[in-house]
Amino acid sequence: MSGTRLAAPFGSLIDRTRPLHFRFGARTLSGFAGDSAASALVGAGISVLSRSFKYHRPRGLFSMTAADANSLIAAGAEPNAFAEHVPLTEGASFRGQNYAGSLERDRFALMGLFGRFLPPGFYYRAFYRPAGAWKFWEPKIRAFAGLGTVDTNGPHGYFDKAYGWCEVAVVGAGPAGLAAALAAAEDGAEVILIDRNPVIGGSMRQRRGGVGAEPLERNGKAGTIHVMTGAHCLGLYDDNWLAVGQGKRLHKIRAGRVVVATGAEEQPLVFRNNDRPGIMTADTVSRLIRLYGVLPGRRAVVVTANDQGYGVALDLVEAGAVVAAIADLRLAPDDGPFRREARAAGIELLDGWTAYEGHGRARLGVVTLAGVTGRGRVDDSRRRVDCDLLAVSVAQVPRLHLLCHRGMRPVHDGSGHSFASGELPEGVGLAGAAAGRYSLDAATRDGLAVGAAARQAVAGGAAPEPERPAPDGALFNHPWPIFPHPRGKEFVDLDEDLTIADIRNTIAEGWRHAELVKRFSTVGMGPSQGRHSALATQRLIAEATGQTLDAVGATTWRPPALPEKFGLLAGRGFEPVRRTAMHDRHVEAGAVLMPAGLWLRPAHYGGSGDAAGAIAREAANVRGNVGLIDVSTLGKLEIRGADAAAFLERVYTFAYAKQPVGKSRYVLMTDRLGIIVDDGVACRMADNHFYVTATTGGVDGVYREMLRLNAEWRMRVDIANVTAAWAAINLAGPNSRRVLERVADGLDLSPAGFPYLAVREGHVAGIPCRLLRVGFVGELGYEIHCPSGLGETLWDALVEAGREEGIAPFGVEAQRLLRLEKGHIIVGQDTDGTTNPLEADMAWAIARKKDFFVGKHAIGLRSRAGLTRKLVGFRLPAGESRVPKECHLVIRDGQVAGRVTSAARSASLGHVIGLAYVPAEHAAPGVPFDIRVDQGAMLRAEVVPLPFYDPDNERQDS
Amino acid sequence: MIKLVPLPRRSPLHRRLDGLGAEWSFQGDAEVARHFGDPEGERTAAGRLALVDLSALPRGGYKGPAAIGWLAGLGALIGPEHNRAYPQADGSLIAKLAPTEAFILGPADGPADLLAAWEGAWNAEAADGAWPMPRRDSHCWFFLAGEAAPAMFAKLCAVDLRERAFPLHAVAQTSVARTNAILVSGEIGGHRGAHLLADSASADYLFGVFLDAMDEFDGRPAGLAAIGALG
Repeated sequence: MSGTRLAAPFGSLIDRTRPLHFRFGARTLSGFAGDSAASALVGAGISVLSRSFKYHRPRGLFSMTAADANSLIAAGAEPNAFAEHVPLTEGASFRGQNYAGSLERDRFALMGLFGRFLPPGFYYRAFYRPAGAWKFWEPKIRAFAGLGTVDTNGPHGYFDKAYGWCEVAVVGAGPAGLAAALAAAEDGAEVILIDRNPVIGGSMRQRRGGVGAEPLERNGKAGTIHVMTGAHCLGLYDDNWLAVGQGKRLHKIRAGRVVVATGAEEQPLVFRNNDRPGIMTADTVSRLIRLYGVLPGRRAVVVTANDQGYGVALDLVEAGAVVAAIADLRLAPDDGPFRREARAAGIELLDGWTAYEGHGRARLGVVTLAGVTGRGRVDDSRRRVDCDLLAVSVAQVPRLHLLCHRGMRPVHDGSGHSFASGELPEGVGLAGAAAGRYSLDAATRDGLAVGAAARQAVAGGAAPEPERPAPDGALFNHPWPIFPHPRGKEFVDLDEDLTIADIRNTIAEGWRHAELVKRFSTVGMGPSQGRHSALATQRLIAEATGQTLDAVGATTWRPPALPEKFGLLAGRGFEPVRRTAMHDRHVEAGAVLMPAGLWLRPAHYGGSGDAAGAIAREAANVRGNVGLIDVSTLGKLEIRGADAAAFLERVYTFAYAKQPVGKSRYVLMTDRLGIIVDDGVACRMADNHFYVTATTGGVDGVYREMLRLNAEWRMRVDIANVTAAWAAINLAGPNSRRVLERVADGLDLSPAGFPYLAVREGHVAGIPCRLLRVGFVGELGYEIHCPSGLGETLWDALVEAGREEGIAPFGVEAQRLLRLEKGHIIVGQDTDGTTNPLEADMAWAIARKKDFFVGKHAIGLRSRAGLTRKLVGFRLPAGESRVPKECHLVIRDGQVAGRVTSAARSASLGHVIGLAYVPAEHAAPGVPFDIRVDQGAMLRAEVVPLPFYDPDNERQDS
Repeated sequence: MIKLVPLPRRSPLHRRLDGLGAEWSFQGDAEVARHFGDPEGERTAAGRLALVDLSALPRGGYKGPAAIGWLAGLGALIGPEHNRAYPQADGSLIAKLAPTEAFILGPADGPADLLAAWEGAWNAEAADGAWPMPRRDSHCWFFLAGEAAPAMFAKLCAVDLRERAFPLHAVAQTSVARTNAILVSGEIGGHRGAHLLADSASADYLFGVFLDAMDEFDGRPAGLAAIGALG
């Protein structure tokens, strides 16, 4: 077969004045603007587009509806692209797939010789024993079987997503869809019309008896109809939520009503060698001729079971091809208008004949026709007809996949010889060929009726049952277009290389249910998802098992309705990043930033290549001088109302009812199981007002839980998450008071005037602030909170005020070391999803006399049951330089007995120190234990009392 | 003692806008981007799609069971519906987020007199159950205007912001690019658009998201002058 480009009026989509050049493998070819890769390739005389999945048989264009793997090509760096959906562009590069050597001479085609030894499921038996054998065989099998190859060096694409909304979404812009959209939009309803083709019109454009393009375009743009072409509806979900892929964008459309007008899929005729390039659906022939001006063969045979096939034969004749014969499967066909016209044109008509065997290696050269005697049976009469094109029009199957996504179960349509929709989901209409109305007239009238019903439904009026034309499937679909051949190779599933024998063998194995036949044989599991194979498989199962077609039913079609690109699913993800008000100052100071939840925080400043040195210097400056750290990421909550104290009493483990105004107190939150979930500090700003801090990563959960609890408790309290509203700086070190005194406006900072755990409100450098005397790092320190919009100003003021002392910022890593020296835990690091306060040695933070707090009962139970583990401080011997890592294991008597949660080398203490869970009976100070570190080395550690640093709190209380 | 005078209120995006060529001017205590280079072109572009950062401007809020009643008692014009914004005499806008919460946007083109008056009137005793919220610091504030704004928003947000679904003064509390956001349909200088209020710490992230989403529509940041907010 060599391609022939036709003159106008054929080729309504192409622009002959704009030739485009492209490559297919090593060849340079040409097409026209408006071509798809498929039409351009066939138009350039290319017969073989790909090799089949298992036997590596040559495959050419069969359908142009993304319904089989034949047309999958590599388009540039994109594998597995349906050639009919790839627009031709200048300089485009395409390749065939799944071959060794060349597409024309594929070494793997030898696999076809071993077909009888490769029945379905052969690899389950052959390659899984002995145990572990599959690991050996899998890569070898995958080298033979498969489709495209991902180019990991390919360019990145920009994919994104968008939401859409409408009152009525119509999927499919063929005759039924167009009519439905127009009817739905009649009163101004907002309609989105979705079609996967580059232009609207569907079969109206290419089917004989259809209309031209111009009125379609005019109608499609009418009123409130938004037309989406080149748009693939991938899924229909609850509440009429549609996923639509269009180019590199995934549209998520919410529709009031949906009309599915997706048409029907023309089916293959199952006969020996029915996969030869040059055999294609009649619909494909029409598309090539009328839309793309491509004559796909010069001498054709048409095999049909309806009048439409005769129409395609007439198209071929008009386009200049010789139609050698029209074989009609029907023994006594109706004399339709196209048949009469074909007879008048002198085409040989063979009633009661079928294609029985295709001949030719890389392309069709001859077809053997045989006389039909009954269901799937032929007699001995044969006709060999030279041809390079066989157009097939014997049956259609409604495209019901989208309905199936919403739970519809397809049923067998006995009179229409195909599948039909079961009960429709709420809010969805079905029209046209998808509803069993195949003729242009019936489909159009059906679309009008269903569209009008959708309009009435969105208008809120009672929607009467639409008056619809009768289904006409019997005029189009042959009841049994399957003709077994003694030598086999009658393909039921082109994607998976499955023949009649494969399906029968699967049933003989005992898999009698359609779903089981699918899973064992893989029929319908290729890219076509059963569009070409489901109906034939149903019939073969029914025949072999004696079941009715109704009883066999159909398998479930799941999303996506068409293969979708990973880019569409993954594209343009959103990953929020939060910055503190002082972020730019940190960057200017050379901070190495680290994520803390959604925030970015300075891990340390400078020290490129010597992070440990930088951390040690920062820590030393805090211990011996003064440092400042941005703690704006701390969660901050305002708890206000008459029941504020009572609320905290119930939410946290400690006691707050008698907490004085102007004082802060530690808060520890447990869940109902008594597990530690968060901690912080509660500052009493007024009798009915607490300002509560929470951990950086925990505050959103704490806030959510507080809202939930108060919805349950209904206390007189208002809870507000004001984390972002307040910037916060911890000014820490023995010189911190001196620095603060320079910028604090009228605040008494003396130890008596502003003691440890006190809270004050005042101005620092003219900025209104809340000041907390807290000691997380174990030194004299002030946590200064100010409106975040002035955070940078406050930071600058403190840096300036401390310049004389050599104030320096410190980062999260230094803070972790300093708090470890002080023995403070970090929730989430030193606790896990099972840690209770008793294990964490925090019984001091539990007000046992309170009637209630969340987790109190569970903690009581745990207390009575006794502890199995405890968090302890440990120290390595002086001189040991190795530092255990978090989650290194505590080993006792050769068994895992706990784990390390924090460890660091402390310059202040001259030891490596840390926190670890150890068995409760071995938690006393002085007890040795082993830690298994990297490479299995064992370190001897010793339990020591906490805190490691300043046990009498003299420094932080100073 | 070192006595520093706080700088004027600036947007969290001040440096970023400066890098884009913002020309600055003051509106009250707020330093705002007047325009970015070509004022006339910016005004034209604003009809198509413009992102205006109003984060430096005054805003506030009150929350609690008595919040709405307290504001109404001071003369604020607030109707019964929530998730709706109510324009005030000085051009400010009260977005009623719930029966117990009001988010107040100061006028973009003048002094926030009412906001200041209400702040001055508040004290814990007189306004028990109506607590102030630090909205100027908790939220950044963008105004997105232009005919392409709904289409641009459709890439970031599941709420339909077209006129028929989101009329003037409608309020939506939703998620924009995975960040909690309040959207208020509004008008500045005759430009219809949407106020977007979101976590101030995420301002830089959101700004980047918007620039990316606007690129398809040739949208760009605009100064307040482009939407007539500075006269």
